[in-house]
Amino acid sequence: MSGRALDNGLRLLGLVMIGVIVCFLVTPIFVTAVMAFDARPYLGPLPPPALSLRWFAKFFSDDYFLRGLGTSVELAVLSVTVSVCVGVATAIAVERASFRGKEALISFFLSPLIVPPVVTGFALLLFLSKMGVINGFARLLCGHIIITAPYTIRATLAGLSGIDVSLTEAALSLGATERHAFWDVTFPLARTGIVSGAIFAFAVSMDDVAVSIMLTDANTYTLPVALISSMRANFDLSIAAASVMLMLLTLALIVVLDKFVGLNRAIGQGVFRS
Amino acid sequence: MKPDRGSLPLLLPAGGVFLGLFFLPMAGLFIESFRLYQPGSIGSAANAPFTLTNYAELLTPAFADFFLETMRISLLASLAGLLFAFPLAYWITRRFSPRGRAIAVGFFVTLMFLSVLVRTYALELTFGATGPLRPFLQALGIALNGRPYIETLVGGGLLHYIVPMATLTLLGTIQNVDPRLVDAAQALGAPGWKAHLTITVPLCMRGLLAAFLFAFTFSISAFVIPMILGKGRVLFISNLVYNRFSEIADYPSGAAISMVLFFVALAIVYVTSRQVNKRWTS
Amino acid sequence: MTRLTRRQTLKSAVATAAVTVFGGALGSIRPAAAATDITAVEWGGDVVTAMKQIEAKQDKVKVNWVLHQGGSGAILPKIKATWPKAEYDYVAGWEGSFNGMIKEDWLVPVTVETVPNLADIPKKIIVKDAKGEWMAVPRAVGGIYFAYRKDISPVEVKSIEDLFAPSLKGKVVWPGPTQSMMLQIVALALHAGGNEKNMDPGWALMKKLAQTGNIGRIAVTDTDFTTSLTSGETAVGFFSEPQLTAVAKSFPLVRLTKQEGMPTFLYQSGFAIFKNRPNLKATLEFVNFCISPEMSNLYAEVAGEAPLNVKSKTPDALKHLAFTPAEMDKYVYVPDFNVVLSQQDAWTKRWENEIAPLL
Repeated sequence: MSGRALDNGLRLLGLVMIGVIVCFLVTPIFVTAVMAFDARPYLGPLPPPALSLRWFAKFFSDDYFLRGLGTSVELAVLSVTVSVCVGVATAIAVERASFRGKEALISFFLSPLIVPPVVTGFALLLFLSKMGVINGFARLLCGHIIITAPYTIRATLAGLSGIDVSLTEAALSLGATERHAFWDVTFPLARTGIVSGAIFAFAVSMDDVAVSIMLTDANTYTLPVALISSMRANFDLSIAAASVMLMLLTLALIVVLDKFVGLNRAIGQGVFRS
Repeated sequence: MKPDRGSLPLLLPAGGVFLGLFFLPMAGLFIESFRLYQPGSIGSAANAPFTLTNYAELLTPAFADFFLETMRISLLASLAGLLFAFPLAYWITRRFSPRGRAIAVGFFVTLMFLSVLVRTYALELTFGATGPLRPFLQALGIALNGRPYIETLVGGGLLHYIVPMATLTLLGTIQNVDPRLVDAAQALGAPGWKAHLTITVPLCMRGLLAAFLFAFTFSISAFVIPMILGKGRVLFISNLVYNRFSEIADYPSGAAISMVLFFVALAIVYVTSRQVNKRWTS
Repeated sequence: MTRLTRRQTLKSAVATAAVTVFGGALGSIRPAAAATDITAVEWGGDVVTAMKQIEAKQDKVKVNWVLHQGGSGAILPKIKATWPKAEYDYVAGWEGSFNGMIKEDWLVPVTVETVPNLADIPKKIIVKDAKGEWMAVPRAVGGIYFAYRKDISPVEVKSIEDLFAPSLKGKVVWPGPTQSMMLQIVALALHAGGNEKNMDPGWALMKKLAQTGNIGRIAVTDTDFTTSLTSGETAVGFFSEPQLTAVAKSFPLVRLTKQEGMPTFLYQSGFAIFKNRPNLKATLEFVNFCISPEMSNLYAEVAGEAPLNVKSKTPDALKHLAFTPAEMDKYVYVPDFNVVLSQQDAWTKRWENEIAPLL
């Protein structure tokens, strides 16, 4: 029965770990919310002596930020769309094929994540200039595709990996065409991977500073770049306000998605749920 | 798995994107890393002679220490991240109602949209030298200004990104594992922990690998987190690169450091993937 | 490129339509003479606020404000990447960033003929190229010096020796190797009997300081420094004007610009005017307007850097930067910037190898 006791002990340990990590994860959300309402014009110790809406007001009063937000959203949507398509195609090809050097290929697809983003941006800037691409939006789009694609490829692969090949084979043997087997069997099962890849990609694109800083031009810039540029000496808490609003927006989108599609349907449920 | 030549064209879009937007630009940087830099100018001159100086300069004990420190903190943070994320993902998949699961996923997704800069400062204000936890931490005998604590904080900052990312990655993997396998093992008398260790974990190995590689590559290229939480004292390789790319404008040297990081990290990623795939999937 | 032009064309088409429709109403408000568009790179925060106010006081040019993203060095690779096509008419900078631009031969030389108000700017401070030509227009001056927060510093800092006090453990914020042109090490060198040409004493002292454990944070960016002081993480530091001014707005800050044994350095903030741009004449006129006595005053008030125009007046808030000639000799150290700037790369690497491991 000592096995049972060990089980219980481990289960308890697991619960404690989950509790600790959830507390740790939640803390900065609360602190950020507090920062966003901080009345002080600088970043000071917690808790703030007074609260205000000044950073929200500043955010909305500044056309500079709003233009950046527009570009950021446009960029995120476009680059994530491209990355997801690239990711799904690649993951399927890699998953189905078995050729020598497959791991090398997978590692290669992950390689943009290894390089510090400031380097990726810099290398891309030099290259694109040589190619004659000096339009800011085009440059930014290139940059955002290359930093998001590794996530979509990897996450889709991870989602596909658990899928039993026999399921696809069963569908095929039952007379389904290859395409049907993909859309009716593989895709729904891989959906969690695809969606989580898309979420990473979107979040990475919306939050990126280091790559974007290298690629903006006089007229096109993203929101995080605008927020960073607006600070010279003092930390500008508009960035906390922006972050709170972005999180609320995300939350609202999730609720809407859940209401109309069902979140579980959207992210997929996998083969087995107890 | 059978060889399937038919799906190779599917690699074309990725091939194009990676070649044009990553491989060729990096090749340009590779060439830059061999250029001679004239102090005071902006990058190397267009026809600067080639040299190995930029690499030779890196052969110092201090640089090796920066490198090892980056690797050590990144590795520990990534493993800790998996250790937390795996039970979390398992719990959410198996024990939560669909409603609870949706809420949990919503929470992690929302967390992903918290700006790195703000998140890091929030952690600094909470756990840093002036945070509300200060008396508590001091009572525990922790030197808030000491290097071990600062390194832990940097690891914590990385963990804050890794856990949501790894949890979301693992959700899909765990969903696709047949829970009846574990039930069967337990019915045959195996204790739960052993059933999980011999069944669930191996079946999730590729998901775990994906999560680990996300975490590790994210960590070694992290810039803002070590900069703020490391107080400029714990330096990651990316911070050294930034030094060269900012006011100093010594691009060849920055490029050389990037190349060293790139090839070493790529080798680690490759060897890890290969070993895991060899051992756990056949 | 087509995208941009199309957008611009569209914009101007809309603008034309608007003028046609509302022309009558607007005509009386805005003078009919069309303003010239120029694109300028400025710092965010108070500086761009000041510049926008200056822009509003004239109608010859309309400025598209682009902001520096991080340090003034971040823009350099972008300019280099598109050169010889230039995107910006002027880029605000300081000695540290002008130097590279001059070496790359990007800038238009300036003279009293092209920028008449330069006649009222001290000649000594104007940045020159190897041929002795003036290469940038200075608009204001700021200090780089030691300061401490009186409310939380455990000691009254009077000399560099005080930085070693055991009670300051973790309480010193120190600029990183890319900040302040490494003048912090020059300051230590001066204290130990060296100077920018003989830095070994400075490095030795820097090592000693690193070993005390007094350095709590190495500030790698401007906001990093300000935040460290405002959050109370550290109490004493060496940094430049805009950061220290930002701290002084909210806290009692003692600025040691006139403290014997604690060297003060000055930097200039100014305009680097670019070649290969269509509206050079309008840009020069605007820059000239900016350094007029009145606009210098306005800039000083809002941006917090002292005016350089001899006909303008240093505001009370910047009294710590007003030096009599005697004070200037006594407290302000003017290093040989050619030496300082050509050593940045070597000093950064020396920092990484010798100092960083001790922190």
